[in-house]
Amino acid sequence: MDNQVEAYLSLDDPPKSDHLWRYTSWQRAHPTGDSGSIPSDVSIPNLKLRDINGEDVEGVTLDFGQKLPIPFDGSPTSDAFMKAITHGKAILMTIPDNWNSDVPLVLEITTGKGIEAAHIHIKTGRHSEVTILTRIEGDCAWLGLLRTAETGVGSTLHDVVVNKIRHGSLLRVDSFKAGRDSTITAGTVSAGSKQTKADIRYMLDSTGANLKVLGSLLAAERMHLDHHIEIRHVAPNTYSRLNWHTACSGRSTSVGTGMLKIDKGAKLADAGQLFHNLLLSEKAKANSIPELEVEENDVVGCGHGTANGPVDESQRFYLMARGLSEKESEDALVAAFLNSTLSQMGSELVHAWLIKTVEDALDGLKQS
Amino acid sequence: MTDETPVLSLKDLHVGIDGNNILHGINLNIAPGEIHAIMGRNGSGKTTAAATIMGHPDYEINSGAILLNGEDLLELEAWERARKGVFLSFQYPQSVPGLQVGHFLRKSVASIRGDEAAKGPAFRDALKSAMEEVSIPRSFLSRYVNDGFSGGEKKRFEILQLMLLKPRLAILDETDSGLDIDGIRVVSRGINAAIRGSESGALIITHYSRILEHVKPDYVHVLIKGKIVKSGGPELALELEEKGYEWLQ
Repeated sequence: MDNQVEAYLSLDDPPKSDHLWRYTSWQRAHPTGDSGSIPSDVSIPNLKLRDINGEDVEGVTLDFGQKLPIPFDGSPTSDAFMKAITHGKAILMTIPDNWNSDVPLVLEITTGKGIEAAHIHIKTGRHSEVTILTRIEGDCAWLGLLRTAETGVGSTLHDVVVNKIRHGSLLRVDSFKAGRDSTITAGTVSAGSKQTKADIRYMLDSTGANLKVLGSLLAAERMHLDHHIEIRHVAPNTYSRLNWHTACSGRSTSVGTGMLKIDKGAKLADAGQLFHNLLLSEKAKANSIPELEVEENDVVGCGHGTANGPVDESQRFYLMARGLSEKESEDALVAAFLNSTLSQMGSELVHAWLIKTVEDALDGLKQS
Repeated sequence: MTDETPVLSLKDLHVGIDGNNILHGINLNIAPGEIHAIMGRNGSGKTTAAATIMGHPDYEINSGAILLNGEDLLELEAWERARKGVFLSFQYPQSVPGLQVGHFLRKSVASIRGDEAAKGPAFRDALKSAMEEVSIPRSFLSRYVNDGFSGGEKKRFEILQLMLLKPRLAILDETDSGLDIDGIRVVSRGINAAIRGSESGALIITHYSRILEHVKPDYVHVLIKGKIVKSGGPELALELEEKGYEWLQ
């Protein structure tokens, strides 16, 4: 038994009173439901890196089998499990110092049919600028994806994850550490998987780090989408915003739990979180619970909020007065609601790519 | 008025909301090519009349009829009325973050005038010319509908839509409110371009006579407490400007 497996098996299951596991228990997120085990038949999904035009990428490398630590502690359970199931081996994606391109990169993750897992570590160089669009597709029963990152001084990273798994479950664990004066724009677009449990964490422990987290999620049919986003401000002069939009239809359940921590010493931190759920059916459920822990008094601002509701009737009437039928108006308003965060995830090129990538899911939502 | 079928006929229209009666028997005919103005104080029922003609679901029609070119509109929803040719320029246009102006205009034109009208060089030319007429820059097309627009930009955007949708009946609900004199000129230019010389009719709802100096109405009606108490020519607007509404109570 390797050390990673041993470390996981020594842990107790996390209690449901834990903010992270309140709405989706660890047993439910586990690939077999038997949290005291680690499946043996786990394979690595197929990874392909190209630019958005399908061309090879020069200068950016993918190195398999790297032994890399998680940059900072997150949930002991999900961290240890992901390390165990990937045997402590990561795929290292390196963006060199000063590497800069207007052409976004597309990392295709294509799964098979069973249980699959991967750890991808993104390391961006000093003053580099890159957009990475990670598209996850396939028919897997369960995919575990551990994504870690460390951004270089003065770098800019646009990181967008698009989940289009057809029916299976996704466990996503992110730990991103922002370097001094670096900027991260992190987008999550979810238009697939029957169940998603995501534990997404950002550490702003270098001065001048900037973070924008955006969500554009479609919960349809009987989907269960649970995203926990934790942002921790440690260094002074750090900035973060979270804007999370979920459209809920059918009998779906969506959960968004936010944890915003401002440590003592994070002077002039400026942080805000907003969860917004659009309820499209009476049987859809949405839970958004943003939480704050502020230990520093000298902050620029620190706020959180949540809003749930159906389509705005005044907006609907406005569109109907312009000739759109009731259904067309609702569809346009759902698309607009999701687009308002989608459009902030990157350049116009990225925006067009994202719309193309999820437009079939929007059609699916209309029918559910 | 001409002998032609009116673009709009309101016949003894009684309307309420939440059990309160607001309009108490409105009668009005607008012939093709005519511009009518309804003037009145706050709370007199002007916006209720506009929203009712457009088909707002909150308003209950207790009795009476609304005819567009002789066709009864009462059973039609707002979008069906829009496709028949009714256009309402809103007093407070709704913002729709995430919905791009360019996409919205195409979709709206396609819904009302058909797919062919919303594509190709003809649409682009019409759009360019209308945007120039109401001084809207091209960068507007990538903005979101009314999101972050100033009061004047919202009103000019309403008139841009009027020009592109080419309705049979244009209802302009306090389009002049919040506009400075230059804004009123620009908006009036758009209204004149859309209505004058066409077979369409227009109903301008306003508190003041300022806009009527630029868009000359054929008839002016005074609405007080849900009733039209006086009708006349354009000179009535000037009289109201001078005397106020007190003398008509």
